[in-house]
Amino acid sequence: MHRHRHVWKQMRDREAGKVRPHSFANRIKSNRISQLQLSNHKDIVSPHKGAINSLQIDSTEGRYLLSAASDASVAVYDVQRPTAISKHTSLFVLDKHHHQGHKYAVSSAIWYPIDTGLFVTGSYDHHINVWDTNTTQVVVNFKMPGKVHRTAMSNLSTSHMLIAAGTEDVQVRLCDIASGAFAHTLSGHRDGVMTVEWSNSSEWVLVTGGCDGAIRFWDIRRAGCFLVLDQSRTQLGRRPPVLKRSMITKDSSTKLRAAQKKHAIGSGSRQLPIGRVPSKGPMKQRLHPGMLSTQDRATAHYGAVTGLKATGDGMYLLSAGSDSRLRLWDVQSGCDTLVNFETVRLQTNKPLQFATTQDATLVFVPCMRSVKAFDMWSGNMNSILRGHYECVNSCWFNQQDQELYTGGNDRQILVWSPARSIADEMDEGPAEDQDNWSS
Amino acid sequence: MDTEEVGHRKGTKVESLIEKATNTTAPEVDPRLLKAIKAVVRYSDSELRFATQALMDLMKRDHSQVRYLALLIIDELFMRSKLFRTLVVENLDQLLSLSVGFRRNLPLPDPPAVASVLRSKAIEFLEKWNVTFGVHYRQLRLGYDYLKNTLRFQFPNIQANVERIQQERRERERRSRAILLSKYESLQENSSSIKGGILSTMDEIDECLEILHAKQESMSDDILDNEELGDFRSLELQQLRFEALKEGEKVYENSENTVVFDTLRELYKLLITKHLVSIQEWISVLVRVELVDNRFRDSILKEFIDIRNRLKSVKNKCEEAGCSLLNSSKHEEEDFWEEGNVVSMEISCSAPDNKNEHLDVASTSHKMNNDNLVESNPQRSKLIAEAPVVRWSSYLDNWGSNRVFMANQRGLELDSHWGRVDDDAVIPAEKIAELNVHAMPYEEKEIEIQPCLAPLRKGGLCQRRDLKVCPFHGPIIPRDDEGRPLNQSSSEDMNMDLGTDLVEQLAKQAVKNVRERDQEVAKKREIDKQTLKRAKLAKIREHNEAVLRDAALASTSRSATLGEDLEVEDKLSARDKKQSLASMLRKKVTPKDRIAQKLLSSRARVTADRQHVSREDANYREAFPSQW
Repeated sequence: MHRHRHVWKQMRDREAGKVRPHSFANRIKSNRISQLQLSNHKDIVSPHKGAINSLQIDSTEGRYLLSAASDASVAVYDVQRPTAISKHTSLFVLDKHHHQGHKYAVSSAIWYPIDTGLFVTGSYDHHINVWDTNTTQVVVNFKMPGKVHRTAMSNLSTSHMLIAAGTEDVQVRLCDIASGAFAHTLSGHRDGVMTVEWSNSSEWVLVTGGCDGAIRFWDIRRAGCFLVLDQSRTQLGRRPPVLKRSMITKDSSTKLRAAQKKHAIGSGSRQLPIGRVPSKGPMKQRLHPGMLSTQDRATAHYGAVTGLKATGDGMYLLSAGSDSRLRLWDVQSGCDTLVNFETVRLQTNKPLQFATTQDATLVFVPCMRSVKAFDMWSGNMNSILRGHYECVNSCWFNQQDQELYTGGNDRQILVWSPARSIADEMDEGPAEDQDNWSS
Repeated sequence: MDTEEVGHRKGTKVESLIEKATNTTAPEVDPRLLKAIKAVVRYSDSELRFATQALMDLMKRDHSQVRYLALLIIDELFMRSKLFRTLVVENLDQLLSLSVGFRRNLPLPDPPAVASVLRSKAIEFLEKWNVTFGVHYRQLRLGYDYLKNTLRFQFPNIQANVERIQQERRERERRSRAILLSKYESLQENSSSIKGGILSTMDEIDECLEILHAKQESMSDDILDNEELGDFRSLELQQLRFEALKEGEKVYENSENTVVFDTLRELYKLLITKHLVSIQEWISVLVRVELVDNRFRDSILKEFIDIRNRLKSVKNKCEEAGCSLLNSSKHEEEDFWEEGNVVSMEISCSAPDNKNEHLDVASTSHKMNNDNLVESNPQRSKLIAEAPVVRWSSYLDNWGSNRVFMANQRGLELDSHWGRVDDDAVIPAEKIAELNVHAMPYEEKEIEIQPCLAPLRKGGLCQRRDLKVCPFHGPIIPRDDEGRPLNQSSSEDMNMDLGTDLVEQLAKQAVKNVRERDQEVAKKREIDKQTLKRAKLAKIREHNEAVLRDAALASTSRSATLGEDLEVEDKLSARDKKQSLASMLRKKVTPKDRIAQKLLSSRARVTADRQHVSREDANYREAFPSQW
């Protein structure tokens, strides 16, 4: 009741012009997001017989949900229009019986960012398939050197159509849909690559997290990675405070500059910044100057990096590791912001897919059987969403409807939606749920 | 502040109620407590929240009984309160993992018997909740689906079962209706032929009867005339005459009307076995069939009923005419069997297999026996009661006979083929008797072994039948209806299940002695009381007691510790009787445990190891004798 009155007041303010349209919309949205609960009116009927590994809703219409599962199947659902009363069955399923289907678990499935005519699946059978959605046929096929853990395409790109693929192999490969060949191989990781993520601020920047605990930033126009995140380099807060800023930035920027200069010039005589492992002797000299950073053994997590998520503005990067830590990185400075997320335990053996809200205030993280919503900047837990009976692998937040989709090892895809208004509930439902005390 | 405090106090009230309700070993929640909980929770949401919290805490207890009772309360509240449902459903996976125990790292706690009940009950409840409230709570649907489709738990499926049974019944009814309808249709088609067949048979019977009667009348005319001449004045005589007349009207079979009788009998048989049965069937079909248009059915039903009545009357007529011959042989048989029963009862045979043989035994003597029974000769019956019962065998063929047997006249004509045959050779009677001596196998007398009848902890009496010693309850002794030993004083009956040992019995005796003496002391004390002051008396009492106890204990050899042990046991068993939650967890020592204790003791293991090693050594030495 109280909440409703609040909404009405805001509406009046908006009518009077006291509140700007954008902030009004944002308030309504954040209000709705704070009420997320297991939806009773939207059931996604999962056709999968294995764990759900990946979920994505297309960015063009916000309507089609793509899910990939361990039983080598991929399915697409219409989340706007139910097929039966409050039931969303899959529009189509591609499984082992499809003659071009994957043989083993599909670890990732993503939409082509421009439209819903294509989608890309990566599987443990070492293949990445690009499918035509309308004909459900494979149009391009890439053979990878190992199990594919994660694939990613850039939302911003206007000049390339590259699929970044993290596999068991130490090299990250960029697959070009246009040519059907590998455009790049990025080497630097010392172990398999669990997760890849394109930057949200530059179409050329790719972030990868490996089983060696390193998070590397790559500019795909250049050789080698340009930034390796180091968990020992920290800063307190989102940005260095203004007063101290000059000092710190000077310090860090000189270091950075020094590093960059060193990279550019390639002379090893200068002092290397602390935390960068100095390379020794002849080995270093043989390397191409751009490849120097491969010698950087800094780690972002103890153990493997299992999840990466860049914020919408591309300024921050959230990472999860098998050390059950979530870290929020300032991309610009490359420092850990020391936000303490109250995770208890994270799943360690699978890539995790987490989701952020559009304004990056909340992040939804799969923590074993539950999904926790954290405040991005304080790390406080906002709410805990319980519904899965086994570990949750992936989340996807639908910005348009403020709905959260989660998939887990229990083969369910759950929809978490804001509480519906009473009027909505009155419309349907066979009998109202009421107290039933014996008189 | 104040409201909070009040809330808290009330909350503790609910909590204490719940705590009390779950702190028993009973298989059900005390209905009064449950009612109280419901009443308290009903009018206040905050108390309901407290109750939810308390119940969830109880579900985490490391005791299946507590969890079980808590689950029962949860179910009660779940079916009633919406708020409770929303609260519970939030944490449904936890509740399910605690009640069903489907997570491998969180198995259900002891005791296992209650744990299995808890699991089945939880599954049943989940199904019920899902059926009733699944529409409103996605979590319920999810939990149900997970347990059913992922973990493959067997749900009782109550609703589906009921539906299935109803469906089956409907199916059956539909089928029987269809059958009835098809029968009815066939009847519609050939009802005339059926009727025709029956009517023709009846006509034939009528004709036969007429023929018979016609003959009879012609024959009996003269007799009747004669009889009419006489005077019958008295009523009795008239009665007699009437009966005689009636008797005379009956037609008897003789050589002249045999043919007619035969046909009549055949027709009668046809009537009984075929037509009467079929007409009954048709009537039942007509009664049961459901039709839109009932006119034809009603008319034909009427006709059929008429026909049935006629059939019955004809049947009666036939029977009067003496057609009830069909059953005669059966009657004889039945009589025979009845006799047999009587015999077997009289001679009180124990083995039912021998019934026939016994019948054979008695068949000769029994005919007379029957007569005698009618006469009710007391001496005879007494003799019969005394008479020995013998098994049937071939020697009974020659029972009491003194005949001699011709040795060579057995129907085989040998005729001096192998030399001279003495046709007159006889086997003397005594030889025959010798050959036919009746063999009597020794039959052990069956003694009924008495059941142990010791009271069991779960109620009831021990029904084991052992000869002397029950392995669980010691020597078998006479006990009363409640299992208390008859010759023991009631205070010590608890010891009975322990006191198998002679030493212990001795010890018990010693304790008894002590108690007797104590009683004596008490008596003495009474006398002292009158003479001495209280303080003094107490001192003396103590002193006396001490002295006497010492004396008593010293008098029996090992009783000092044993007696105490027994008393401790006494207390223990008394506590067992009043079961607590902790006692449910105490593990029962099974024979397996005892064997394990013997076999897995370190000494046994060391010996076994040593033996094993030495045997291996020996094998090795045998295999490689020349190696060092």
